[in-house]
Amino acid sequence: MPAAPPPPGAAAPRSVTARATAAGVIVSALLILAIVFGSRLLENFDSALLPYAVATVFLAFGVAYRYTVWVSAPGARRLFKQGWRTFFSVANFRQAPTALPRMIATYLGFQKFLGARSYARWAAHQLIFWGCILASLITFPLTWGWFTFTSGSGSGPGYEMRIWGFKIIGFDSLDILGWLMFHGLDIAAVLVIPGASYFFWRRMKDRGAITGQRFAYDLVPLIALIVISVTGLLLTFSSIFLHGGGYEFLAILHMMSVVFTLIYIPFGKFFHIVQRPAAVGMQLFKYTARQNQEVFGCRRCEEPIDTGPYVENLRGTMRDLGLGFDEWAEYCPRCKRVLRGSAYLSQVKKGFK
Amino acid sequence: MMGRTIFIDPGRCIGCQACVSACRECDSHRGKSMIHLDYTDEGQSVASLPTVCMHCEDPVAPCAEVCPADAILVTADGVVQQADTTRCIGCANCVNACPFGVPKIDLQAKLQMKCNLCYDRTAYGLAPMCATVCPTGALFYGTVEELQAERPGVQVADTFVFGRSEVRTGVAMVVPADKVQWPVPGGLPVVEINGKDVRR
Repeated sequence: MPAAPPPPGAAAPRSVTARATAAGVIVSALLILAIVFGSRLLENFDSALLPYAVATVFLAFGVAYRYTVWVSAPGARRLFKQGWRTFFSVANFRQAPTALPRMIATYLGFQKFLGARSYARWAAHQLIFWGCILASLITFPLTWGWFTFTSGSGSGPGYEMRIWGFKIIGFDSLDILGWLMFHGLDIAAVLVIPGASYFFWRRMKDRGAITGQRFAYDLVPLIALIVISVTGLLLTFSSIFLHGGGYEFLAILHMMSVVFTLIYIPFGKFFHIVQRPAAVGMQLFKYTARQNQEVFGCRRCEEPIDTGPYVENLRGTMRDLGLGFDEWAEYCPRCKRVLRGSAYLSQVKKGFK
Repeated sequence: MMGRTIFIDPGRCIGCQACVSACRECDSHRGKSMIHLDYTDEGQSVASLPTVCMHCEDPVAPCAEVCPADAILVTADGVVQQADTTRCIGCANCVNACPFGVPKIDLQAKLQMKCNLCYDRTAYGLAPMCATVCPTGALFYGTVEELQAERPGVQVADTFVFGRSEVRTGVAMVVPADKVQWPVPGGLPVVEINGKDVRR
């Protein structure tokens, strides 16, 4: 008899923990190497940004660790494999070459599914999403020493932007492009603050959102985003209007909030950022089977349940988990209820008396 | 079985749909009813069966076990919550693995929803919406002692059988006294479909 699977939320088995630790160590080591070589043996590395860089190494470890544990569970592992199998199928690619880019754009980029839940939540999430994407594209390469801004005259206004030491673009810091380059993070903060504030307000007012709400899981991420954005904007305010007054204190507060958030990403609500892209694989897996007319109908009423390969995949997951009623997955939810009701009617309380 | 839980007695259900309407008022899924009311022998009998989430205890929440996104949380008090909106990817694994046919899915919103025992109410000691409005007591919320004080001699069962597997649940069903010792049949193996014997 196979060993009973651990209940949801239980600690991962030791073999999974070892594999996850190895993945974490490898990924963080690769990141350290990428930082060293990307910054030309630390020549372009800004030591003032060291705490941020160290936090990203911890982030890399945490994400790789958590990701490995996550895809080791039967449900995730099977869909993950099916997603990649579909992705690498040449036949599927020939049949629907635009399916994947379309899903990435509508699902990951514009998050149409959130609009189906609520337009306000969709708009707020889009603000946070694009703000965070912008901020990440700027700050990660900066803290790793991959981006540098150099000026031949020492103090501008002519600057050169370099990636890995190679010149990409030259610009005048006083024109529009220069302003955008130097205020990219301020723009990101302006996008994030209203989005995160809306969600914060919703968590205070919406009784559906409040049900089962947990401070560390639901509110801390929003507080972190708002603190990062506000302190980031205050740094700009300090340098422009206060001649640097309070800058050091603000810089430390900003750094602490960013470092905390980076380390929190793998273990809290922000982990959905890492999980979501894998869901595209699940959709691709279902989409291609549907294209091939592989729809599976309920054994009793013949209403479509899902695709045939999906039902087979789910049955496999249930068997992996020791759920001995996997053939039940071939009946639609309504028929399961009706059949249970009939059994109760005929075998437990005849005529429901 | 949880301390205070729902007890379902299909024998008392008159199919009035009051529970279905009241369920829509639950704050955690306003406007959408999560309770199912099925007519088990439509056209032949008026027998109806209300189905709420049974909050499976052993195995712990098959819906949560098959979830590839760790989206279904089981709280310390044994309540299987509906999918976390941040994590749910709308794959429908939970919908099709649930032995009781409980979870619903919105494919556009890529979101699973299900009865969460009116957690916004039960967490504060209030009865769920469905049990509050049920006019016949087909859905009763309380402890088994409270149920038996109100209905002397009544017996309940919290174990269901699906083929060779048994599932013990947090929500229980009322059964005749002579049926307490064996698990309630869950409908599997299926013996008959649309009048045809499907036993092999």
